[in-house]
Amino acid sequence: MVLEAEKKGKKKTIYTPDMATITEISDLTPTEKQFTIQIDDQETREAFRFQPGQFVELTVFGLGEAPFSIPSSPNNRESFELCVRDIGNVSNALHKMAPGSKVGIRGPYGNGYFPHEKMKGNNVVIIAGGIGMAPVRSLLKYILEDRQSYKDFSLIYGCVDPANILYKDEMQQLKQRDDIEIKMTVDNPDADWKEAVGVCTNLIGDLKYSPEDTFIVVCGPPIMYKFVILELDDRSYKPENIFLSLERRMECGVGKCNHCHIGNKLVCVDGPVFSLWEIRNLKEAI
Amino acid sequence: MLYKILGKNEYEDFLSDLISKNEVIGPKKKDGAYSDFVAIKDPKEIDTDYQKTTLSPAKKILFPSTEDLVAFKISDTIEAEGIVEYEQKVLLGINAWDINGMNFLDRFFTTDFIDENYLAKRKALTVIGTDSVPTENNFAHHMNSEYAIEGFDLYFSDLGDRFFVRAATEKGNRLIEDFPRFLDTSEDDFKEFNRYMEDYRAKFKLNINMKNFIDNFESIYDKEQLWQKLAEKCYSCGSCNLTCPTCFCFNVKDDINLDLKTGQKLREWDSCMIPEYGLVAGDHNFRPDKENRLKQRYKCKLITFKQKYGKNSCVGCGRCIEACLAKINIAEDINTIMKEVSI
Repeated sequence: MVLEAEKKGKKKTIYTPDMATITEISDLTPTEKQFTIQIDDQETREAFRFQPGQFVELTVFGLGEAPFSIPSSPNNRESFELCVRDIGNVSNALHKMAPGSKVGIRGPYGNGYFPHEKMKGNNVVIIAGGIGMAPVRSLLKYILEDRQSYKDFSLIYGCVDPANILYKDEMQQLKQRDDIEIKMTVDNPDADWKEAVGVCTNLIGDLKYSPEDTFIVVCGPPIMYKFVILELDDRSYKPENIFLSLERRMECGVGKCNHCHIGNKLVCVDGPVFSLWEIRNLKEAI
Repeated sequence: MLYKILGKNEYEDFLSDLISKNEVIGPKKKDGAYSDFVAIKDPKEIDTDYQKTTLSPAKKILFPSTEDLVAFKISDTIEAEGIVEYEQKVLLGINAWDINGMNFLDRFFTTDFIDENYLAKRKALTVIGTDSVPTENNFAHHMNSEYAIEGFDLYFSDLGDRFFVRAATEKGNRLIEDFPRFLDTSEDDFKEFNRYMEDYRAKFKLNINMKNFIDNFESIYDKEQLWQKLAEKCYSCGSCNLTCPTCFCFNVKDDINLDLKTGQKLREWDSCMIPEYGLVAGDHNFRPDKENRLKQRYKCKLITFKQKYGKNSCVGCGRCIEACLAKINIAEDINTIMKEVSI
């Protein structure tokens, strides 16, 4: 029974972030910035592949870690983007950073992502509210990069003010295309606003797709889910073909800290994207 | 399983031998009714009849209340390295429900992603179990936790003049080989062991009814008045979480040292009963009320892992009942919930 002496080992664990550099920062709105992030180590960078809807844990060293979904296209292998609202400790610090700053990245995480394979050959509708645009933009880009694999494609995007609209220029460009229909709405229009006014729920009625071959993706604040779901139900869209991305306090991202659990599901491991069917069978999900 | 017998007169020598060769953590009398698991230097220090410990000795060793996870160094660039700390230890005298609690943590920390911080400590731990007297708030027998079938290396059951010893692992087998005074078992020893277990199980007095509990819980889930009544006195202090042998929630934090150049990412226990638990950026709280939080705690203890692993995460130790300042009693509440739906 000779036992080994005390040991202190250092290695890469599930909590160890990879070093990454912020290569570009741009203002999206008065409260949101876009950060382009490149993982430093080439091998790690090449191994970093994500699915639309997945997220990363970003560390500002000395300050903390927070989860952010990835709004850029999975096809871009060199770097990825994050859209960050200046609202918590980590995001406040990020907003003060300059290009060239170092951050830590863990991920990508989440086994539940937008099931783009299943969507192929079907109509796809994306309904986004406010910063809910960030998680779905990855899917939006991914579908547009392989547009012929899908049938009709629509985006409904609602914001409080025109100033809050994310990726404004990109939206304008997309409007020129004839293979995607874009409908935008705001609660408080300004004098220049020419599109719809009110909540995005109002625009669902204009959709002319049959529930048989239509997938719907929804991301926005909890209150939006309640009303969008009522509207989708009225039009008999299938709960198993409706996907929602849920927000929770995901501190570890690897199913251990438990802050994101809803019943027997963990948002970080089993989500963050769930079908409406799954959510209906989970108390307190929305 | 390997079965052996060790005479009572040999037991102290076995312990002396063990203590001389290893760091042994065992129960020592503290204030009043409580004992604590600490480093043991002499077999005489061991409180063989201990009844209560504030924390589960396994959780105390394997999942400490704060733990460094990553060390980082900031200079022109930043370096980050995972920290995995462990020491070879022998945990002596842990009882069956705390072993079952540890078994739950073993499974939890190695599911989906392997938590090396936990696993390294667990692999370095030798577990020697023995029965302890259940308190009046213990309902381990209703949670299938009054008896351990795995998780220990050796388990000693006190048959009066001798110990009935079960060895579940190679590590346990080695301990037996290293102390050549263990004897083989006879048929009578097994009969005696059965009698012993029957007597032992009779010491658990608390009665609860958990038939179809999962379905019944679901049916009362939205009864707001019931949950308001159950949680009425809760102070949201989190004592129930801190004393629970299977509560594992933690916060991940970054901490920077005074030199402003080095720091660490660490975890510290969190509690699902305090309001900040469900708070996200933008001040939205997913569980703002204490009744939501109590409901979710009961769900986590009695439903979630029954669905995921086939076994409750609650082992029925009764620590949360004793720790609660507001006298909230999970066993009574189980009965109250069952009464709501009784036919």
